[in-house]
Amino acid sequence: MRVLLIEDDPRLQETLSKHLREAGYAVDVSADGIEGLYLGEEFPIDLAIIDLGLPQLPGLEVIRKLRNRGRDFPILVLTARSEWQDKVAGLEAGADDYVTKPFHVEELMARINALMRRAGGHARPLVELGPITIDLTGQRVFRGEEEIELTTYEYKVLNYLVMHPDEVVTKTALSEHIYEEDADRDSNVIEVFVGRLRRKLDPDGTLNPIETLRGRGYRLALLLAA
Amino acid sequence: MRSFSLRNRLALAGTLVLVIALGAVGLALNAANQRVAVSSLQARMESYVYLVLAAMEVNDNGRLQMDAEFADPRLNQPSSGIYIQIQGRADHWTSPSSLGLQWPDLGTVAPGQGVFTEPAKGIGFFSYIYGVGWQLADESIEPYAVLVLVDESEIRQETSAFRLGLWRALGAAGIILVLAQVFIFFFGFRPLKQVAGDVARVESGQSARLEGYYPRELEPLARNVNRLLETEKSNQDRIRNALDSLAHSLKTPLAVIQAGLPLHGGKSEASMQNAVDEIRHLIGTRLERAGASTRRTMAEPVAVEPQLQRIIGSLQKVYSHKMIEVECTLEKSMAFYGEKRDLLELLGNLLDNAFKYGESRVRVSGGALDPDASRPGLWMHIEDDGPGIEESQLAQLLQRGTRGDERVEGHGLGLAIVMELVNAYQGALGIDHSELGGARIAVRFPAG
Repeated sequence: MRVLLIEDDPRLQETLSKHLREAGYAVDVSADGIEGLYLGEEFPIDLAIIDLGLPQLPGLEVIRKLRNRGRDFPILVLTARSEWQDKVAGLEAGADDYVTKPFHVEELMARINALMRRAGGHARPLVELGPITIDLTGQRVFRGEEEIELTTYEYKVLNYLVMHPDEVVTKTALSEHIYEEDADRDSNVIEVFVGRLRRKLDPDGTLNPIETLRGRGYRLALLLAA
Repeated sequence: MRSFSLRNRLALAGTLVLVIALGAVGLALNAANQRVAVSSLQARMESYVYLVLAAMEVNDNGRLQMDAEFADPRLNQPSSGIYIQIQGRADHWTSPSSLGLQWPDLGTVAPGQGVFTEPAKGIGFFSYIYGVGWQLADESIEPYAVLVLVDESEIRQETSAFRLGLWRALGAAGIILVLAQVFIFFFGFRPLKQVAGDVARVESGQSARLEGYYPRELEPLARNVNRLLETEKSNQDRIRNALDSLAHSLKTPLAVIQAGLPLHGGKSEASMQNAVDEIRHLIGTRLERAGASTRRTMAEPVAVEPQLQRIIGSLQKVYSHKMIEVECTLEKSMAFYGEKRDLLELLGNLLDNAFKYGESRVRVSGGALDPDASRPGLWMHIEDDGPGIEESQLAQLLQRGTRGDERVEGHGLGLAIVMELVNAYQGALGIDHSELGGARIAVRFPAG
């Protein structure tokens, strides 16, 4: 999943993007409102974290413009303004949640996770895919009682597919959402990840959890039970 | 005790002065009239003397003879009130009117001299005695005294009629002056009443400044009150901005420290996290509240309902996954006399806790405490169907800076902020159990 972080304090930007990357997100960063708006409009962002006090274009305006231009990914406001009039203004402008500075990283991650989950239509952090259970908070996958070990990129692919149930996801989309903008992409690698995922999730080849639609992309084949 | 009103003071003092002044005028006029009446009577008595002298003859035998034509009807009528006597050494004459009259002893006077005497104790007459030296045929001078007595009732009637008329006139003048005084007070005090009304409107928040047209004497007062209001607002804005700016500028470095702790904190991460939490709590409850609590003494009313709906709308977005059902029974006219941001802060923190801890239901009810007061005050209950707050935690939660739940941004910080706000507005906060099953927070702001 790809996260856009618009934060003007370079120290906080650096620390936060480090945490986000460690949590498995592809992160795009910006230090001002205009560039942040451009990134939010032009790139396939899954969630944006926007500081309200931004140079050049205030955070509230960035949120409004993104919403006006039809960008509906979850937006989390990150602000030093902890007063409710600012929180309400942010939420009314189109944000989905807020975290006030200073914050516990765990709390921020939990909020991001919850927003992603909700955007994917999952109310609970545990997603059941037939016999396979995915813990979206702990980023762990189980088959029955047994935990399946996945690499970061394998989990990212699975996570993106889970967040887009009943959708055909192209290799390009997968590549765009799991890699950052400046990463060196190779769509063949996606095929490798999907192949490995299939083997790990369904070693017997009986479930066929990820369906390939030739020339179009992939789709989760098992019925999701939220 | 309510002090005596300015209008009543002036009315009382004015009436007293009026009564004293009219009384003094009455007394002076009465005395002057009395003097005029007496001196006019004296002149009349002198003229009687001359009349008598004109009619008087002394024959060669030294006997007194009065001209028969001398006939004043009042001198011939007994007890008419005017009595005349001519006294000589050998003879005397008295007017027929003095029949049965006991003549007082008025002494003697030298010829050519007259003595006027006002009624004294035991003598109910004005008297005038005039000395005459009558030259007889043998050229000797025979002394005579002409005594004129006039009953004091003669001028008493006159003066009492005058006095009655005088007091009536003064009474009428007094009534007219009192009515005029009432009108003057009404007219004169109207601008003061207007200022008082305008100040009350500013106080109740219906207007931001004194905007009427006032008389020249009150203009400086209105101008200075407006300046005071502006100064208060600008001071408040300045303090608030300074505190806000300080709070905001402290938070980002703190966020950097807190976010960096898991990466660099090592063994001391937990204790440093606690320290950062403590600073964060202090900023939230003290620094930001200090700015927010510099509320204006004469704040405009803020309708509660629309702000409540904004908060509920925002929270339903944040807690959309919980599908919370909100039941709202609020009096439409309910108003908060304070800053809008303080109201949002209060509602936001209380409802955030209710949404956070509630399972599926939140109830908000409220109304005015005293609808007839200029500032009706308000009461509000916010309830949820969550786990509620344990008895043992209640007292602890109501203390400053205690956190009820460490897992998330607990009841503690939100309630602590609400406590600071409620205290700043001289309100009251109570926590008990809701019939929904969870906590019920009751907030009251007194009427004023």
